[in-house]
Amino acid sequence: MSHIIILAVLDGIAYGSLVFLVAVGLTLVFGVMRILNVAHGSFYALGAYAAASLGLGLTALGLSPWLSYPLFVVAAAAVGVVVGGALERLLLQRIYRHEEALQLLVTFAVFMILDNAQRLIWGVQPYFYSEPLRLLGNVSVAGITYTAYQVVFLPLVAIAVLVALRLFLRHTLAGAVIVAVTEDREAATAIGVDARRVFLITFIIGTTLASLGGALAAPTTSILPGMGADMIVLSFAVAATAGLGQIEGTAVAALAIGLGRSFAVFFAPELEVLMPYLIMVLVLLVRPEGLFGKATARKI
Amino acid sequence: MLELADISVSIAGTPVLRRVAFRVGEGETVAFVGRNGAGKTTTLRALMGLIDYTGSIRLDGRPIDAVPAHERPGLGIGYAPEDRRLFSAFSIAENILLPARVARLSAAETKRRLDRVYAILPELAQLAERPAGSVSGGQGKMVALGRALMLGTRLVLLDEPFQGLAPVLANRYAEALRALRDADRTLSLIITESNPALLKHFAERTITIERGEIDGRAAA
Repeated sequence: MSHIIILAVLDGIAYGSLVFLVAVGLTLVFGVMRILNVAHGSFYALGAYAAASLGLGLTALGLSPWLSYPLFVVAAAAVGVVVGGALERLLLQRIYRHEEALQLLVTFAVFMILDNAQRLIWGVQPYFYSEPLRLLGNVSVAGITYTAYQVVFLPLVAIAVLVALRLFLRHTLAGAVIVAVTEDREAATAIGVDARRVFLITFIIGTTLASLGGALAAPTTSILPGMGADMIVLSFAVAATAGLGQIEGTAVAALAIGLGRSFAVFFAPELEVLMPYLIMVLVLLVRPEGLFGKATARKI
Repeated sequence: MLELADISVSIAGTPVLRRVAFRVGEGETVAFVGRNGAGKTTTLRALMGLIDYTGSIRLDGRPIDAVPAHERPGLGIGYAPEDRRLFSAFSIAENILLPARVARLSAAETKRRLDRVYAILPELAQLAERPAGSVSGGQGKMVALGRALMLGTRLVLLDEPFQGLAPVLANRYAEALRALRDADRTLSLIITESNPALLKHFAERTITIERGEIDGRAAA
């Protein structure tokens, strides 16, 4: 029994780390831009496809598979900058002033377009690229053998991203203006902040994080069209549970939902899919603003 | 120095400003008075480019209508909004310094402007490390003035600065404004106020706005 509990905890930490990377990008974009980006899940899928393609390219060229780790970052940044940047500049900037329903519909349309683009580019057969998982070997935790990639590497990356984001927002000018725009876009503009540029930078960071989540997930799963849909729904659940716009809260919620899901896998498999949303609903029933969110008055 | 001509603003199809026109000379302090909802704040927001308008705004003879909102502070225009709107995630000092950081002023220039702010509002130096969310409403107005002065080297727009201030703080605020005028005779001020009596001993000229229109005789 204790072995199953330890296994569930390890599973939950590994899964929660991936979910955190995607959800923190989503919540950052919402916190600053006040837009719920349904297409965020597409960046997770694009990151996975890009990482697997580059990794398979490494293998084909006979290059060291250790290069796959920096390539994950390159793949994520390329997707975030090129696709994310183009999406923000060409489309989203035109709809910020429109009502939320339209923003949701537009980003949903983008999600559908990107989902079909994945089918066109990579086909419908699953991709596998597990080399980075094998390279780091296994670790033993209380007698349970698990891949070091999932229980050491992924959580370390998640923690590094959390710390880097906090340091960036607190100690750099770019971070300070993002915080200023998040609090009050007009007041920030009145002191010289170019909010449009801040939106672009934020969106690129957010989509890069989603892509990084996908790239890091690539060695642990089969890469299939539609994989972004599951992740976007889960990310919404995590972000809503934490309170939209809450970075540290997203880490806690991702871990809680990751653990909840993995315990469900072992102890109540029929609840596996439902568990993250049950946690979200229970939290929102007690705290509609989320675990770490602040209730705010809204003009209607 | 500043000239507004035929400024009109509509919000959701409703006219809020109608052909507003007035001038402000260099070093002049203008009281911009009117009842709540008359269009004072909208005029200042148009001046800052924060709201769409028709008409023309000229600064030192040059039209600034095509200058985006975030570049207008760089023209030497400082703005202290009605409800302070400090960034609560930052300290008082960080709030005051952020405009200088955004404008990428040199360290020497930043220090020079900060010294000027602290000379006029010495109480801000005492509050410097306090979180912006922890100060009182009156202190917040002082901080908003200090922040506006970091970039407002030609023109400073103060939106209802006396609103909600206790008499002691209102006197202190007026004292700071006098010190500011004494320190810089070329700086122009536009101060909006619902109660004209508050500014009658202070402003050199009063412009009244009613229902989005102003009295043309006072505007020249």
